[in-house]
Parts: sequence; C-alpha cells; structure tokens
Amino acid sequence: MEQWLSSVIDPYYQQVLMLVGIYIIAALGLNLITGLCGQLTFGHAAFLSIGAYTAAILTRDFHLPFILSLVLGGLMAALFGILLGIPVLRLTGDYLGIATLGFGEIVRVAFTNMKITGGAIGLAAIPRASNLINVTFFVILAVAAVVLLENSRFGRALKAIREDEIAAEAMGINAMWYKIQAFGIGCFLAGISGGFYAHLLQYLNPNDFGFLKSFEILNFVVLGGLGSIPGTIVGTTVLTLAPEFLRFVQEYRMMIYGLLLVLMMIFRPHGLLGGVNFRRLLRRRKQKATALSS
Amino acid sequence: MKKNKIALIFLSVLLMLALVTGCGGQTGSSSGGENKGGGSDDTIKIGFMGALTGNEASYGIETLKGMKMAAEDLNKEGGVLGKRIEIVESDHGSKLSEAASVVQKLISKDRVVAIVGDPTTGKTKLAAPICQQNKVVLLSAGAVGPGVVEIGDYIFRDTLLDAVAAPAVTEYLVNKLGWKKVAIVTSTNNDYSVGLTKIFEEALARHNAQVVDKESIQDGDQDFSAQVTRIKQARPDGIIFTGYYTEGGLFMKEVRKQGLDLKMAGGDGLLSPVLWKLGGDAVEGSMVYTGFAADPANAAPQTKEFIQKYQAANDNKLPDMFSAQGYDAVMLLAKAMKEANSTDPSKFKDALAKTRDYPGVSGSLTFLPNREPVKSPVYLLEVKNQQFSIKAVLPTEAPKV
Repeated sequence: MEQWLSSVIDPYYQQVLMLVGIYIIAALGLNLITGLCGQLTFGHAAFLSIGAYTAAILTRDFHLPFILSLVLGGLMAALFGILLGIPVLRLTGDYLGIATLGFGEIVRVAFTNMKITGGAIGLAAIPRASNLINVTFFVILAVAAVVLLENSRFGRALKAIREDEIAAEAMGINAMWYKIQAFGIGCFLAGISGGFYAHLLQYLNPNDFGFLKSFEILNFVVLGGLGSIPGTIVGTTVLTLAPEFLRFVQEYRMMIYGLLLVLMMIFRPHGLLGGVNFRRLLRRRKQKATALSS
Repeated sequence: MKKNKIALIFLSVLLMLALVTGCGGQTGSSSGGENKGGGSDDTIKIGFMGALTGNEASYGIETLKGMKMAAEDLNKEGGVLGKRIEIVESDHGSKLSEAASVVQKLISKDRVVAIVGDPTTGKTKLAAPICQQNKVVLLSAGAVGPGVVEIGDYIFRDTLLDAVAAPAVTEYLVNKLGWKKVAIVTSTNNDYSVGLTKIFEEALARHNAQVVDKESIQDGDQDFSAQVTRIKQARPDGIIFTGYYTEGGLFMKEVRKQGLDLKMAGGDGLLSPVLWKLGGDAVEGSMVYTGFAADPANAAPQTKEFIQKYQAANDNKLPDMFSAQGYDAVMLLAKAMKEANSTDPSKFKDALAKTRDYPGVSGSLTFLPNREPVKSPVYLLEVKNQQFSIKAVLPTEAPKV
C-alpha cells in the first residue's frame, strides 16, 4: 500500500501533507476551545506532547497496536486537560492564557527530567506508523466530529458561553461543565495529533513542544478565522505549506512568512474565513437559483 | 465588503504565486539530474541538513561554509569520478518537524547520494532512520550524543567523542600534572554532564587515581558554597567539572573565595568566553578539551591550509570545529566514492566505513568496526589572560569496549 502510494505521490509531499493533516487535527481541537467556547489557551502543545509521548512509549516499549496507542494517547491528553481544566477554567481571558502557558512549561520540564521519555536526549526509534491514509482518515473523522458538535445543542451552548457567560448561565447552561467538556475534547484531539506526530517523526524531544509550538497552532486558528472550521483547515494548510513552498527565497523565507501574517491580519482581521457563514452562503445561492428558475 | 473581497483575491493570487514559483524553483534547481536514481550524469549531489535560522543557526552556518569550501576544492581538481560535487542546502529553522521534511526533500526531490548533518544529536537521530530506510549515507558533522550510529549501517559521524577524548585528557591530568586525588562535579540535570562524569570516573579508575569527592550541582544554580566546603575537606589535587561554562565560572569563583588554589578541567561544555566573563581571575589556569582549535602555528599542513583559506574568505576570522568537520565530511565522502569507484551509497558506504587514519583538517580519523569515529588529537586548552591557549595536544586511542 505504502509503495503504491509513494509511486503516486512523492514521499516529500506525503511528509508535508501528513504534517498538514496532523496540525489540522490539533488546530480543530484548539478551535473548539478558543474559537467556539472563547477560552484563550496557550498550552496546546503540552497536550500534543502528552499524546505524543504516551502513544510513542506504548508502541515502542509495550508493543501495543498503533491505533490503540493513538486513542490511549488522546485519552491521556484529555485526562490531563480535564484535571487542569477543573481548577484553571474558573479563570477567564488573559489569566487563563497565562495559567495554561505555565502548565505547558511544567509539562515540558517534566518530560525533560523523566527517565521513560529519554529526558533531554529525546525519545528515538519510534516505529513509523503514520501514513497518508490513516492521517487522512482521522482528519475526516475529526472534521466530521467537530462539525456535528458545532451544530448540536452542545455547540450552541459553547457559543452562548463565548458570547456572554452570565447570560448563558441565566439561560440554564452550566458554563463550567460545558467548558471542561470542550477542553477535554480539544485536548483529546491534540493528543491524537501528537500520536501521529510522534509516529511520523520517529523522534521526540521535549524542547520541540515549547510555547512556540502552542503559538504556532494558535496562529493557524486565528489566521483561518476563530470559530470557523473551514477557516481552521485553510489557515493550517496555508501556514504549514508556506515555509516549504517559500524555500526558493532561501534566507528571506521566514521574513516573507512573517509578512504574510501581517498582510493577512491587515486585510482580514477576523481571519481568512472568519465571519463567513458557509451555510448561509449556500442557502442564499440556492434561493437565488430558485428565484431565477421560477 | 467589496474591499474585503478584493483583498482576499489579492491574497489568494499572492499565495498561488508563491506556490507556483516554489514548485518551479525546485524543479528548476534539480532538473540537472532527476530520475537517474542516485546522482546524475555530471553532478554528485550532497545534501546539507542543518539550521541556517533559529537558535541552532551558528552550528549550521559554519558546517555549510566548510562543506562549500570542500566542494570548491574538489571541483577545482576536476571533481569526483569526473563529476562535479554540488551541495544542496536546505534550512530547517531549528525545528524538528521541518527537519524531517528537509531530509525527505533532499532524498526524494533532490536525489542526493549523501547528507551531511545535522550538527545536533537530536536531529541526527531524527534523520537517521529516514536515511537508513532510503539507503542514503548520513554523515553527521556534529553529533556527539549516544545512540546515533547504532541506527544503521548508512549512519556515520566525524566528531570527537567524549569517550575518546576524556580518557586521553585523564591520562595527561594524572600522569603529567600529578592529579592522584580528584574531586568530580556533576550537573545532575544536564545529560551531557552526567554522561561525561561516567567516562571520567572509568578513566580515572584505569589510571589508579582516586575520586575523593563527588559533588552534584544543577544547571541554573548560583550558590556553590556547600559543595566547595566539602571539596576543601577532601583535599583533592584538582577538580574535574563536567557541566557548562556558566556554572563552571561561578563555581571557580566560589573555590577561590574559600581560599582554595585548585585548577579545574572539563569538556567542551566549558568552551565559551562566558567562562571568564563570569569567573574572572578565578578561572585562570582552568583547562578545557576540544576536538578542534585553530592554531595556525602548530597545525598539520592540511589544517594550516584550511585555516588560511577560511580566513581569506571570512575577514580573517578563525574557523571553528563545525566548519572544519563540515569540510572533512565532504572530503571523506568524496574519498569513499573514489575508492568504491561508484556514487551508489550502498557501495561507497562500505568504503567509508573502512576509513583508517584519514588526515582531516579537524584531526586524523579512523572508523571503528562499529562505525564510531576515533579522532586524534584532542586539544587541551588553558585559560590564560582571559583567552584560550593551547596547553597540550594529546594523542587519543580507541576506547576499549
């Protein structure tokens, strides 16, 4: 299967596409927390690393099947997300941001000093189990899940909390409970993404999961348009591919990357697809079509 | 609304442009030899893997400089097997995820026969399985950590390992300087330090020197008075310090403060001007070993030539370890290709593994049967008037496994 795949798509493009898919899963999780529920978190990379290390250690040292370890890694990340969420989600806005930033650093330092994670030397010899097929499959699964969530009672409750928490409470929504659920699901997706990440790179190092990575993922979501699922996907794709496609300008690469960020924020302050409602767009087009035909 | 739409279109066009030219640029640069399977008609491609931006950039930039000098020298003499050497460079910005893409790109898009890199152990370990799987030679010009060449028979490195250097230094300390009783200071949250301490302890035991005191510190500590007090009571002949320069400088300050007239010796973790910026007079006489020191006066002829060429091209700046090892890496690959009379990695990797006593610009190099390099000599530097000067040039021998 893999050989057939590499005869169709160059392994380099496969690698980059897988990275895009993996980041999309993580970004969808963050979009649920920050975009939909309005809770600012700067520690998403920590949950990515929890999932990555858990899955990697399970397949490497305990020889568990890949998909099972992937799910267990996701659950581990969700568990830590909920444990962190219970005390921390009482905070709002910037304060929550700082608290999650701190948690991210704790996780990084903990992994640096643990024996089982290989410490500062890193964890090597992880089997390469991620391929374009299982990554794509999980991306589709994740997209379907978050689309269904967004348009459910749960999703509407999250939006209500984002817009006005007090009003939402007055309407009988248990804001704390919903926030923790959203945090748990978001972290689960991050954990899954981390598991794929570990089995793509085959090597993990705690320093790779610093706050820069958290900001990178936040960038994907904000640039695509906070709260927009298509926006998150487009934002992640553009920002992950840009450094690769900008290789031809060599040392100016990161400068142009930065310039792209600035330009996008000037012209589209709400993100690439922020504020675009696809359902409404489709409905309007349909209405136009029916009006024309009649 | 309309303005937004225009902006959106403008942006998409810009992105598309970047995309298209990106692809164009790549196919253009590699059109010389595609689909020929490992090299082409008239060029041999060697990939550079390393950071040109980000916090590891200083290693990568120097490595690449050395590699380019080697390619120039080779091409001036007609290339290798009648083909030109071409260095394909790719920056990974010190990021793990991009490093994996870079290796994959070098192998499948640029079709290099060998990759020189990465200067760090971590990213070398990331690249090694990919190279091994695709049967491309990986020669790291910087990795010193454990568990690198064990990954496969296509994986090499041309660095001075602590397991080779520290025993030679220990012999000098014990037999020439008369350190019979030694205190060892380890930074316990620093893997490099923990590993180096182990090597020193074994070497000291072999030379019948006694470890009279073992002290633990942590990277980031500022106060070492308790540790130094204990060292004072143990009355050693010298201190072996396996941590980094920041703590090393501060530690020696405390040693002098408590009135001890001991000298410190350590690995290249101490190799930085920060040592005397923090330690001042207290670090005068401290000894640091390293695999390469640019010493135009006493260097071997090939090293002298390299230093001159480097200085001419870089405003009289002296080359460092990374540029010298980058130069050697390309030269070693070229030599192996000539000997195997082939640019096929599966053939010249065996010739490379047979390298014995190769006179490189960063010292002579021999690959052991397990592909670990043994380099000689090791330079023992001494801090003199707030500068490193060469105290001794020590020959090394293969570690006993």
